[in-house]
Amino acid sequence: MNTDQLVELTISGLAMGSIYGLIGLGFSMIIRATDIFHFAQGEVMMVGAMVGLIAARALPLPFVAVLAIGVLAGGAVSLLMELVVYRTLRLRGVPLMNIIIATLGMSILMQNGSMLVWGSDAIAYPKLFETTTYRLGPMHVSPQLLWVVVLGVALMLLLQAMLKFTRTGIALQAAAQDPETAQLMGINLTRSTALTFALAGAMAGGAGVLLGSMFFASFNMGFLPGIKAFVAATLGGLGSIGGAMLGGIVFGLIEVFSGRWISSGYRDAVGMVLLILILLVFPNGLVGLFKGRR
Amino acid sequence: MAGPTLGASKSQTRIGHGVALFALTLIPFIYHQNYLLHVLGLAMIAATAALGMQLLIGFSGQLSMGQAAFLGIGAYTSGLLTKNFGVPFPLAFIAAGLLAAVSSLMLVPITRLRGVYLSVATLGFTILVFLILLNEEWLTGGSFGVLGIPWPTVGPFRLRGEIPMYFLCLALMATTYVAFSHLISSRFGRALRAIMLDEDAARASGINVTLYKSKCFFVAAMVTGFAGALFAQQTRYLNPNDFSFSKSIEILIMVAVGGIGSLPGAILGAFVVVLLPEYLRALDQWRLVIYGGLLVLLMGLGQGGLAGLVALAARELSATLRRACSGTARPGDAPL
Repeated sequence: MNTDQLVELTISGLAMGSIYGLIGLGFSMIIRATDIFHFAQGEVMMVGAMVGLIAARALPLPFVAVLAIGVLAGGAVSLLMELVVYRTLRLRGVPLMNIIIATLGMSILMQNGSMLVWGSDAIAYPKLFETTTYRLGPMHVSPQLLWVVVLGVALMLLLQAMLKFTRTGIALQAAAQDPETAQLMGINLTRSTALTFALAGAMAGGAGVLLGSMFFASFNMGFLPGIKAFVAATLGGLGSIGGAMLGGIVFGLIEVFSGRWISSGYRDAVGMVLLILILLVFPNGLVGLFKGRR
Repeated sequence: MAGPTLGASKSQTRIGHGVALFALTLIPFIYHQNYLLHVLGLAMIAATAALGMQLLIGFSGQLSMGQAAFLGIGAYTSGLLTKNFGVPFPLAFIAAGLLAAVSSLMLVPITRLRGVYLSVATLGFTILVFLILLNEEWLTGGSFGVLGIPWPTVGPFRLRGEIPMYFLCLALMATTYVAFSHLISSRFGRALRAIMLDEDAARASGINVTLYKSKCFFVAAMVTGFAGALFAQQTRYLNPNDFSFSKSIEILIMVAVGGIGSLPGAILGAFVVVLLPEYLRALDQWRLVIYGGLLVLLMGLGQGGLAGLVALAARELSATLRRACSGTARPGDAPL
C-alpha cells in the first residue's frame, strides 16, 4: 500500500469516525440522562440527511448551511419525539423496558414512514464542492472527506463547550449525574431531559448530512450506523463526551482498515465482535481503562 | 405475572386450551386451501419462536434481539443436513435444536450484562450470524440461498404436502406451550420470577442468577432452533435475508404486541404479525408503519398487549353477563 492509499484510508476512517462520534454522543447523553437506549437515534440521523438533501437540492447552499439545516431538523425531530411520545410514556409510569421497546417502535415507524414519503430508492446528494482534490504537498486529499472531519469535530467541540461553559450546559450535566440533587438545586428535570433529546438529535442530524454527503440518503440508512455508533460510544466509554469522540474515531479507523485488510463482506462483523468483546472485557470503555490505570 | 392464565381460573384455562387445540386440529379438515394451511404453519413456527422469546423477556427479563440467529442456525442445519447429506428429518430436527442451543452457550458471558447492553450484544450476535450465512457461500449458498430442500421423511413415511407439515408445526407449538407452562410454574419458574423482581435479592437468597439466565437462553435457543428446522422444511428454500436483525425485531414485536409475560399472548402476537399482512395486502407498504405505531401504543398501555386487552374485555363481559343474568344489576353498579 502506498502513501496515497494510506492517507486516503486514514482520512475516510477519520470521517466515518467523526460521524459515529456525533451519533454516539447523542446515545451517550440520552442514556446518561434517562437510561433509555434510543433505538431511533439512527432514524433521527436519517431525517437530518433527508432534510439537508432537500434543502441542498432546492437552493445552492454552501456545505456549512446544509449542515446547519440538518442539525436543526434532527434536533426538532428528536425533541418532538421526546415531547409527544417518551414523556407521555414516562408520565404513565410504564417500565423502562416498555419505553425502550417503544423507541424501537419509533424507529420502525420513522423508517417506513419516510419510505412512504421519500420512496425506497437511495437519493444521491448534489455536488457540494467545486474541486475534486486538494493537494497537500505530495498527497491528494478529497475535500469532501476533509470537510466532514473538520465539521464533525467542530460540532462535537461546540457541544462540549456549550456543556462546559454555559449555565444551561452545566445544569444539563448536573441533571444527568444526579437527577434528584439537581432538582433540589432548582433544575427543571423535565426541561433538561427535553433539551438532552434536542441536543442529541441535533448531533445526529448533523451526522446525517455528513454521512449523506459522502454517499447518499435513503430511508434505511440509519439503523446499522446507529448501532455501530453505539458500539463506538461504548468503546470510548458511555457517558463521557470525550469518550464518544475518541471511541468514534478509533472505531471508524478500525472499520475502514479492517474492511481493507480482512474482507469487505465482514466489514460490519468487525464492529459486532468488538462490541461483544468490549461489553464483556472492559465495559467502561477506553476512557475507563485510562482512568483505571492512572 | 399470572403465568399462562389470563386472569381466568384453572379449569377455565384448561377448557380454553382444549378448545383452541381442537379448533386448530379441525382446520385442515374443514378448509382444504393449501395456501391457508401453509401460512398457518408459518404462523405456528413463528409462535414457537415467540414462545422462546417470551421465556426470555417475559419470565427472565432479558430483552434478547438474537432470536433470528437461533432460527437461522436451526433452519440452515436442518435444511443442509436433509438436502446435502440425506439425513432423515427427525435426526436433522434434533441436530437443529441442539446446534442452536449450543451456539447460545457463546452468549453465556453476555447474560452477565444488564438490560439494554444485553439487547445490543445479542443484536450484534444476530448480525454476525447473518453475515456468516451471507458470506460463507461454500456452506450456505450465500445470497443465492439453499434451494430444493426435500419434504421431511419420518421413518418410512414421506411427509409430503401441506397437511402433514401443518400437524408437525402444530405439534411443535403445542408441545412447547405445554412444556413452558409447566416450566414457569416449577421451581425453575419461581427462581426466574425472583430474578425478575430483584436480581440482587435473588442472588442473595442463593439463586445462581447467571446459571438461570443462561438456562433460559439455552432452552429458548433450542426451541427456536426446532422452529427453524420446521421453517426450512415448510418453505423448502432458505435465504439469509429471512434471518437478518429485522427478523429478531419481528419476533420481539410478536411478544410485545401479544403481551409480555403471557404464553398465550406470544402465540396470539405471532398469529397477528404473520396473518395480518395476508389479509391486508392492500396495506402492504403501511404494514410496518402500523406495527411501529401499534408497538408504541401498546407499550404505553402497559405490558399486557393484546392478550391483556382480551382478558380485560372478557372480564368486563362476564361481569356484565353475570349482572344481567342475576337481574339484580342496579344502575349505580360500577363495572369491574
